[in-house]
Amino acid sequence: MATVTDLKITELKLSEAEGGKWGMVIDQDICTGCQACVAACAMENNVSFVGDVDSGYGRSMHWIRIERFWEGEYPEVKMTPNQPMMCQQCGSATCEPVCPAFATVHSQAEQLNLQVYNRCVGTRYCANNCPYQVRSFNWRDYERPEPLPNQLNPDVTVRTRGVMEKCTFCIQRIHKAQDNAKAEGREVVDGEFTTACAQACPASAITFGRVDDSESLVSQLIKHGHGVKHLEELGTLPNVTYFKGG
Amino acid sequence: MAEMKQHTDAHAGGHHGGHTEEHFREKHLMLDPLPRGQMNDMVMESMTEPPTWRYWTVFAILSVIVAYGLFYSWGKMIVEGLGIAGVNRPAYWGIFLVNTVFWIGISHAGTFISAILRVFKAEFRRPFTRAAELMTTFGLVQAGFSIFMHMGRVWLAYWLMPYPNERMLWPNMHSPLSWDLLAITTYLLSSTMYLFLPLIPDVAMARDKSTGWRKTLYKTLALGFRGTEGEWAHLRNAMNIFAFAIIPVMFSVHTIVSWDFAAATRPGWNSTIFGPYFVVGALHSGMGAVIVVLAIIRATMKHMKYFIRPEHFDAIGKLMLIISMAWAYFFFNDYMVQWYGGDKWTKQLLHFHEAGPMGWMWFAMLIFNIAIPWAILWNPKWRSTPWLVSIVGILINFGMWFERYIIIPVSLTINRMPFTWRMYTPGVEIPLGIGTLAFFALLYMAASKLIPLIPVWEVQEGQMAHKLTKYGRETVVTVSELE
Amino acid sequence: MSEQFSRRDFLKLAGVGAATTAILTGCGPASRYVKREPYMQMPEYNYNGQSTYYATTCRECPAGCGLVVRTMQGRAIKTEGNANHPLNLGKTCARGQATLHGLYNPDRVTDPIKRSRGDASSTNVDWDSATQTVADALKNYKPEEIAFLMGTAPDHLFDFVSDLAAATGINAPVRFGALSMFEARATLSKAAENLFGKAGLPFFDIGGAQVVFSFGSNFLETWLSPVSYTRGFVGLREAKTKQRGYLVQFESRMSQTGTKADEWIPLKPGTEAMVALAIGRLAFESRGDALPRAFVDVDPLDVASKSGVKLETLERLAAMFAASAGSLAIPGGPSLGRSNGLAVAEAVLALNAIPDNFGKPGGVYFSVMAPNETESHRPASTQEMQEFVQKMADGKFKVLFVHGVNPVFELPKAINFKGALSGVEQVISFATFPDETALEADFVFPDHHGLESWGYQRVATGSAQPVLSGSQPVVSPFYNTRATIDVLLAAAQLAGGTFASALPFKDEVEFLQGKLTPLMSEAGGFFSAADINTFSAYFQQYGGWWKLDGAFGTPDSADVLNRNLNGAESEFSEGEFFFVPFVSPILAEAGANKPWLQELPDPTTTVMWNTWVEINPETAHELGLENEDLVKIVSEFGEIEAAVYKYPPIRPDTIAMPFGQGHTAYGRYAENRGVNPTDLLGQQVNEAGDLAFAGMKVKIEKTGKKLPIPRLESIMGVYGEALGEEH
Repeated sequence: MATVTDLKITELKLSEAEGGKWGMVIDQDICTGCQACVAACAMENNVSFVGDVDSGYGRSMHWIRIERFWEGEYPEVKMTPNQPMMCQQCGSATCEPVCPAFATVHSQAEQLNLQVYNRCVGTRYCANNCPYQVRSFNWRDYERPEPLPNQLNPDVTVRTRGVMEKCTFCIQRIHKAQDNAKAEGREVVDGEFTTACAQACPASAITFGRVDDSESLVSQLIKHGHGVKHLEELGTLPNVTYFKGG
Repeated sequence: MAEMKQHTDAHAGGHHGGHTEEHFREKHLMLDPLPRGQMNDMVMESMTEPPTWRYWTVFAILSVIVAYGLFYSWGKMIVEGLGIAGVNRPAYWGIFLVNTVFWIGISHAGTFISAILRVFKAEFRRPFTRAAELMTTFGLVQAGFSIFMHMGRVWLAYWLMPYPNERMLWPNMHSPLSWDLLAITTYLLSSTMYLFLPLIPDVAMARDKSTGWRKTLYKTLALGFRGTEGEWAHLRNAMNIFAFAIIPVMFSVHTIVSWDFAAATRPGWNSTIFGPYFVVGALHSGMGAVIVVLAIIRATMKHMKYFIRPEHFDAIGKLMLIISMAWAYFFFNDYMVQWYGGDKWTKQLLHFHEAGPMGWMWFAMLIFNIAIPWAILWNPKWRSTPWLVSIVGILINFGMWFERYIIIPVSLTINRMPFTWRMYTPGVEIPLGIGTLAFFALLYMAASKLIPLIPVWEVQEGQMAHKLTKYGRETVVTVSELE
Repeated sequence: MSEQFSRRDFLKLAGVGAATTAILTGCGPASRYVKREPYMQMPEYNYNGQSTYYATTCRECPAGCGLVVRTMQGRAIKTEGNANHPLNLGKTCARGQATLHGLYNPDRVTDPIKRSRGDASSTNVDWDSATQTVADALKNYKPEEIAFLMGTAPDHLFDFVSDLAAATGINAPVRFGALSMFEARATLSKAAENLFGKAGLPFFDIGGAQVVFSFGSNFLETWLSPVSYTRGFVGLREAKTKQRGYLVQFESRMSQTGTKADEWIPLKPGTEAMVALAIGRLAFESRGDALPRAFVDVDPLDVASKSGVKLETLERLAAMFAASAGSLAIPGGPSLGRSNGLAVAEAVLALNAIPDNFGKPGGVYFSVMAPNETESHRPASTQEMQEFVQKMADGKFKVLFVHGVNPVFELPKAINFKGALSGVEQVISFATFPDETALEADFVFPDHHGLESWGYQRVATGSAQPVLSGSQPVVSPFYNTRATIDVLLAAAQLAGGTFASALPFKDEVEFLQGKLTPLMSEAGGFFSAADINTFSAYFQQYGGWWKLDGAFGTPDSADVLNRNLNGAESEFSEGEFFFVPFVSPILAEAGANKPWLQELPDPTTTVMWNTWVEINPETAHELGLENEDLVKIVSEFGEIEAAVYKYPPIRPDTIAMPFGQGHTAYGRYAENRGVNPTDLLGQQVNEAGDLAFAGMKVKIEKTGKKLPIPRLESIMGVYGEALGEEH
């Protein structure tokens, strides 16, 4: 039976958990728009494919998408720099307060926005309120015919219809790295692991790491580059920095 | 019974001078009393007469629509997921929430007419408070349906309720949706009680005049009401308390509904005026709906031409005109302030409202909500014509539905990520929406055969209080203050 | 683990077990340690045991990138790049990521089958009779009547069949693939031979360059070795030692590579050679040097008027090219797929003589030979394929073995591979997937998927280190498939005679070890070992063998400019619009059956799951066409219907279409989806024998129909048309 004293276990776990604020730097100048990150993310995180009809209707489930626009008129047409867009893991996320079920919450340990799939009831308020429009909703139970499910990553929940989902900064990889480091009695080393998108990126345009560690590569990049954070004016405190370059 | 006081009735005021007593009688229900027994019989007859084949036909059609549109389609959607609806990215919310807001809006008029007019002792309210209060309850039922349809995993809806559990999970009270749930539940409970209280004397009357299952039903509902002085005093007290208490609840409900949008960080939604704007909008559609309901009751039910007269349409018509003006004021205020704000996304959005593919809806909204009511309701003769004001009422409801449609899916089309802009095309929302409408009508049809749609005691009370007195050649209406 | 007993069942059972233990030991001390936890935490927070990682080689394109595949409980979960592999240094492209959707594709060929050609239904046969069928085919026909057609990748199977051919006199295996066709590898090789006196695949050190002029080369997409070239592009942009490099893309339709360029020069199709020569001349003039023979004949003013590139632009670019020490010019893509493709390749390669970057950092090199490679062997050109098909049609080939290639889909319909099959008595396919060619075969004896296979693959280009990339099964075969080499070995034994004696191997692995043995004695290796078992264990562990150091070859540039170069415009067939087919950067030649590749948006148009035709918005307006209008594209060889995509960066006189869709077989995700632009192509080849795939003009006819094409971008218009704004 749960008793009041059990509460302490939860509190203990929180204080015990490793701190760390994870962030990402994306160099748009070298992003070639090749979609390797999108494929890697889908494979790592068991993201469903939705088929031609639904994807054409704005229901594709990509956790990361590459945005681009055309500027100017022929022959002076240019494409705006490819802009990979994923959950910005805001420090003050607009998605979090509006969920009536506490299905999207801020994690104390990783400073990430968690999406608790089994708590989600599907009001989709979070997605409306996300200024980056990076949340995907499971409009249906999208079919993965046998034997495709063999590929599913056992570290990541498979979502059902009616549930919101989004980029997690590959939290399962963060945890695995932290557990490994703990088992070896050391701290997680910068660059020891990375997210699926950053790992795949043939241009190495995505860098992932601790932004609260001034020695990490992301912190160095942020310090020395002219990065921007999207829609910062909304006070969302996003954790992804973009280098427009060019 | 309190002291008598002289008072020129607002409605009679314009018509005095030269008019005979017969003229007053014909025009005003309050001045046209019938013996109590006869009036009771009229109401009983309108309720208990065997339904005509037309009634059954309509009833059957509506039942089929409800069965297919509401229950089958919803079941299918629960099984297959929201994919069969039209919601997508970025329009994560669609017609389900449009309908939710719409039905909550409809439900407003009932309480407004009943409670506010009761508090302010507007005499013309008397014959139609019941019909209006029913609208509140029935409308809220549809709103509930709509919001549950909207949920991705409706079978877990109870997670939104604050209930003790082992995991110590609690709803997020930061979320406007949690406030919504509480506000709507409070409103549903209090408006149902408020519907029930004035019903007691009428069902007691019905109990005394009926046999068989009706007798059992009314006996249960009447809670043993016998009409003693003490019972009346208690009842009046309770009604008074509820009438006052329900007004802030009513305001809060639609304000909170508006906060679902106003509290979001979206261009076009994040507006401080949404609270009163939504309240007025709700009254606008609600009054329109009341007048349609009254016209239908008057046209289809026996003896109703006695109870519901052109003077009532005239009075509600005036209210509609005032509310339309208020709505126009709030609309203009919201629009202008947002436009002047100069935020680039909001400007894109406002431009999209007018010039985008759904621009026709934006203009239709303005025509239906402002132009048509203003053009027709200023004329006393026109606004006393039931079929004409009903049409105005229907158009206002279209206009208000359009307003919510523009605020929800159309506004969701435009966000701060232009790469994701995408139009919304409804899918299964259409049968589901029609299903709620049919269910609403069906509930009314059933109610018309089960409970007195006219609060007969209230009419009789008013008639007792009104008197025609002759002062010289002038016929004057006097009303005694009832306590 | 069997199908009937899932992991969840196991957990349930374990839970019951734990509960039982709790009851039985309830009074003992053990009860204190039994803790029942509800399944409240997400798997993201749990630990599901340890994964096993296997190094292997990616088979999604012929580049030969190294992979490390994460497996768990015998299932392949995720592919990552092999960080040690010199070619891709731990990176992958989207196709490499999606390779698991091939492995676990629901539409694989699961058993050896027999069918009547063209009939989708088939009957299963067992492997014994399959082997007998192959043995009979080898034994009952003359060696010169037996032919092998294989994929582009220079792999162990190619070596195996080559050895077999050398020993028994059957026809040497022919390698072919749509990618090599669209890359015009024969043209590149021939141009190198003409200019440098030696055939071979050039390598362009983009990373070390400062100013890069790319004439249609799609090196960020599918060209030769895209992951390696992407790394080069990053070097161009970000190398710490120099300024941010400048990329100019000369092409009539902006490719994905073009979108990353600093400047896009939409020259008229067919004028690439003369533009290159004009730039050469103007570059020399800007430096005030004497004009070499190569650039004497070209008249820049005339070129400007013919190509549509302003003279000032040519002069500015030429001056830029001449001024930088790190200039580099790359030929490629559709500019080689023309009647004068070889002249284009020569003219563009010759530009590199201006900075004389041959064999220098940021310049042009020859690709290195792989460790066990003795001479450069390129895949067949289209002309060689035409000869091959002719032999088939003439009945000179009685037995055709097909492995790793889908010519019925990939070759232009006009070449009529399918029709020529009727001249072949027995067609045996080793296809893993039920593709169009397998559908036309008498037998399909499915090989394992690449991730279930042993093998190696030579890295043809992209790395300075000679690399032999290794493959090993990362999971045990999922279906009743068999390694083609094992099938051939067994069949050779049954066939007896020279076949049996030519293949004295027990199995595929023994053959591989035999091929690896010479490497043990080679110096400079990444690892070495005393015995072959240890050596091949390392080979598997590291995913191949490569030298620690290596250098690209240096082309002999002495005579590059001392020759006449042809700057004539290329010839086009009659029609209204220049037609540019290009390889889909996402699907490439064989990605259409992988659902997640289908769902990846095209990098330029963001279209998913379909084919589109790119038309300049202005042209579309003139023709009265809107997005998603279905149009019929007619060439003299065929017609196809596709939906319009108004593509801003394309010349108004040009239309373009991606290659990759339009399958009539190949599984549920590929079938009856989109159209195949090779249906429009003819037989014309350039001087090097490569298909002039971008050398024709086509007509557009309206159909009046609409076809929605799924797009990720806002379908409210790329310029915000839905807002009612005028553009």
